[in-house]
Amino acid sequence: MKAFIFTCSVLLCTSSFMQAEELYSFDDPRKEKRFYSLISEIRCPKCTSGSIASSDVPVSRDLKQRVYELIQSGSSNAEIKNYVKQRFGASSDYKPAFEGANYILWLGPFIFLGLMITLFFLRRRL
Amino acid sequence: MNRVFSLLLILLPVLILIIYGKILLTSQEDVTALYDPKPIPQFQLLTLQGQEILPTEFDGISLLNVWASWCITCLVEHPFLTKLSQNNINLIGLNYKDSKSNAQQWLKKRGDPYKFSIHDPRGDLAFDLGVTGAPETFLVANQEIIGHIQGELNQEKWESIFVPLIRSIEAQNP
Repeated sequence: MKAFIFTCSVLLCTSSFMQAEELYSFDDPRKEKRFYSLISEIRCPKCTSGSIASSDVPVSRDLKQRVYELIQSGSSNAEIKNYVKQRFGASSDYKPAFEGANYILWLGPFIFLGLMITLFFLRRRL
Repeated sequence: MNRVFSLLLILLPVLILIIYGKILLTSQEDVTALYDPKPIPQFQLLTLQGQEILPTEFDGISLLNVWASWCITCLVEHPFLTKLSQNNINLIGLNYKDSKSNAQQWLKKRGDPYKFSIHDPRGDLAFDLGVTGAPETFLVANQEIIGHIQGELNQEKWESIFVPLIRSIEAQNP
């Protein structure tokens, strides 16, 4: 009986691993690295917070599949991000571009810190 | 002078909090209302009845509603959509990731408020539109999408988001 349960468990585990591998198979390890990096940089449009890599909602699955297809067809990272941005908006990128209203996001904390340090030293001098 | 610095030390963090708070507290509805107009993506899909769809179907003002027979919220918004279609709103359905028979049965059972429904079983057109699930509704003016609502379309959202957009379009093209 124990042997039977053990065999069943092994079969179940290996079959799920095989299925997982079949989902996104790459012939080039660089493409695979790019895929996993990209899906962790694209925001899940249906979730409060989280990338499509950590989400299994249908739209994230579609996005992962499309990213996979685009990588396989030779699209660059910038082209893929732009493709997603055109459909799901600028907020789809977890790393917002250094432009326009995003300056406040990137520079805000540094400006604030600089002001605080300046004020601190000016106050000490007086 | 010391007082000025003390005041600045208090005011600056408050100012930063106000700026970031305003960004964070902007409601999602306001964000979706500020939709960047874009043309309807090209597609090669048929209606649920198997007929071809001409781009001219999207001339004038129309609503493109994403729905599916498996979608519970679609059932909730169905009476409001029926009301809109009775008020001569050009309502076009986008049947999303659904089987043709289930979709047709659903419409037969609950009533069909749509002029026609585009059958998108793989969700290809929906993906190009940036659909994240069902239901969602796009406001289309002369083949260009000018507004987008995620989730249930109801009287409140209709009046606060779509009606002002329709009025602005009508004012531009009297």
